Amino acid sequence: MTDPLVIFDLLLAASVVALAVAVLGVRDLFAAIVLFVIFGLLSALSWVRLSAPDVALAEAAIGTGVTGALLLKTLHHLRFVSGTLDQQAALSVTPLLPVPGAVIWANAAFCGLITLGLAAAFLGAPQAGPGFDPLVADAMPQSGVEHPVTGVLLNFRAYDTLMEVVVLLAAVIAVWQIERGMSDAPAPVMGEVWQGFARLALPAIVVVGTYLLWVGAEAPGGAFQGGAVLAAVGLLLLLTRAYVPRPAHRGIARGAFVLGTGAFAAVALLVAGGGRVAFEYPPEHAKSLILLIEGLVTISIAITLAALFHGREPVALSTQGGRNDT
Amino acid sequence: MTVEFDPMTLAIFMPLLGAIAAFLLPRVAAFIGLVTLVLTAAVVVLLAREVLSEGAIILPLGGWGAPLGIDLRADGLSVAMLALTCIVGFLVSLAALDSLKGDAQARQRQYFWPLWLLLLTGMNGVYLSTDIFNLYVMIEIIALAAVGLTVLSGSKAALRAGLEYMYASILGALLFLMGVGFIYLQLGRLDFAGLINADSSLALSAALALMIIGMFLKTALFPLHFWLPAAHANATAPASALLSGLVVKAALYIFLRLTTYMPLPDEILVTLIGILGAGAVVWGGIQALRAERLKMLVAWSTVVQIGLIFVAFARAGQVGLAESWKAAALLILAHGVAKAAMFLSAGRIKDEIGHDLIRDLDRSSVRPTLAQFTFALAAISLIGLPPSLGFIGKWSLMEGAMAAGYWHWIAVTMAGTLMSIAYFSRVFAGFLRFDRVRTPVTEHQGWAYADAAPLTLAAGAIALGFFAAPILSFIEIGYPFGVAP
Repeated sequence: MTDPLVIFDLLLAASVVALAVAVLGVRDLFAAIVLFVIFGLLSALSWVRLSAPDVALAEAAIGTGVTGALLLKTLHHLRFVSGTLDQQAALSVTPLLPVPGAVIWANAAFCGLITLGLAAAFLGAPQAGPGFDPLVADAMPQSGVEHPVTGVLLNFRAYDTLMEVVVLLAAVIAVWQIERGMSDAPAPVMGEVWQGFARLALPAIVVVGTYLLWVGAEAPGGAFQGGAVLAAVGLLLLLTRAYVPRPAHRGIARGAFVLGTGAFAAVALLVAGGGRVAFEYPPEHAKSLILLIEGLVTISIAITLAALFHGREPVALSTQGGRNDT
Repeated sequence: MTVEFDPMTLAIFMPLLGAIAAFLLPRVAAFIGLVTLVLTAAVVVLLAREVLSEGAIILPLGGWGAPLGIDLRADGLSVAMLALTCIVGFLVSLAALDSLKGDAQARQRQYFWPLWLLLLTGMNGVYLSTDIFNLYVMIEIIALAAVGLTVLSGSKAALRAGLEYMYASILGALLFLMGVGFIYLQLGRLDFAGLINADSSLALSAALALMIIGMFLKTALFPLHFWLPAAHANATAPASALLSGLVVKAALYIFLRLTTYMPLPDEILVTLIGILGAGAVVWGGIQALRAERLKMLVAWSTVVQIGLIFVAFARAGQVGLAESWKAAALLILAHGVAKAAMFLSAGRIKDEIGHDLIRDLDRSSVRPTLAQFTFALAAISLIGLPPSLGFIGKWSLMEGAMAAGYWHWIAVTMAGTLMSIAYFSRVFAGFLRFDRVRTPVTEHQGWAYADAAPLTLAAGAIALGFFAAPILSFIEIGYPFGVAP
């Protein structure tokens, strides 16, 4: 007996592959970004079909939403630098130097080898291999939360999650230190119609983001997904000019970037002692500690992603004078 | 309730907290950075004493224990790598105090410390990790912090090189991640102990191959070295020293660990890796001979040395892997110390003379003598002249190859040595010729506090050769999991 959804799955898989090909093939950068966003949404749908709603949420919020916004912002700067609004001339990629044939063939051989390796690893893999599931199920009662994914991310393997947050911190520090990474393009601004939209959307985003964070303890959701949704608040504030970053805010921003990492690391270290090791939360406080960590990490992730969208450190002495969009 | 700290956790968390503090308080970042490095070094000393007395030690984070949780594990090799990272890192930091002191570098000074301390967090995390997914997260931290350091100078060339480096680095990390995914699919666990007893299969070998190629890309083994010379040559001197001396070693270390726990299925593959290493030795040597700039020459010499380490790894074939990793480890340590010294002194020479064109080194009326002396000392270790640590590393490589009757690896090593003498001589000739100078030579301009750190490193690279025996017996402690590899 075949599941009627099989047809849907096949269509989904075919469109994901077709979109991937289209993203790589299209020469127009704007079209490529739009296709990439659709690709991300369909990937998120695929994760739902693979019964991985947590990954689906992350893919939709971070892989598609925030990444799409970052790509469009980059395009805005590229267009400014190229000095033309003619889309084809400004947005299409033209290779500066012809690539030598030998390099192309070497790359092709390298990619072919990788594909062979992937194919071998995939074809030899068991249909349903062993995994952590039984171990996780055994340990869940001591984890302080009900949702297994949250249990793994914030208790059993919290060390990995802390270091993932550190990756984001490293990214924002690296972006802030690049002084000449961006053109002098004026920041993109929303028109009046969109201002109204923003006013309607903002409260809804805040509610959704906070709900995603809160529900993470017993259902799919959590800090990364909630943080990415809340980052949209920052994006809208920046785009509507309701908030303009100023040099004086740098201290607060630095504090917000490190808040999640700092709190997570402090909790992890301070629970050690009395026979417990680092990251070993006392069972009776596990739930509140995990919620505390998740809450602060969410704030950090949201502000960090918004800062990455802004793309640079707010500069103090602007030689251009009077420009306040830096 | 008392809070107890464990040296292994502290070795990772100390630099992390230091990075946060240095980022929050940019004005005292240098002070915070130095204090953090001293404290981290002290923690590593504590850890070394513990490992010396008890053998390998394991800490199950969160109390869960592998495979559900993540274990930290310290044995001789990982503590040796931690010590290399902390000591070289401390001396490079001292040098950075001086080379980033100008007003024009206020911005670099502000961001150098948080990025470098995050880099240290990632590297220490790699050396203590026993979990392949955790290794992936750690190499992500290393990659971002290293790219940040590469573009620190803000020059266009550095930005372009940094972007290339980031692409290569992310591609390497993704290949590694895909391998991790397939291994989890097959074995259902991610810890090293789970890999040791796995039955080898084609699919598992393919997953291992993906991870290894990812690491080749990150450690810049020929022909995947394309990003390295530009990235290392265009960074500011302390950043170059960290990138070349320490960062590429993290990926090498992961490669050594992986191949110890999951032996390569066929000796042909080991030979193939050796051939890639030989390619790096020859190609890097040719490029170093052709390099126009001093820092570019030093960067190409890194490509050569990485290749040599892979030759050392491959030289004894599959049977001898148990022995050959020691020669590779010695070469890793020797190169870490000597290359940091060489990049710092090259940066000093560039600062004093104002350029680093090899052709015009002898036209300059300024002779930073001490920096040039440091460069020569570091070159002695990189060429492999006795009694340096580089010599011991090369010697144990060739001794093993001779015992196993692999004369071709000896030929490769000798060719690499001859070429390194040739390309370093190009620089020495510039140092020693005075007949092309039109103005009076002001000879002793180089005696500066800034030369202290590189000189210490270079002298260390030579002097460590005398301590090769204790180093060798130390890195063997607790290797690996009490199982003979």
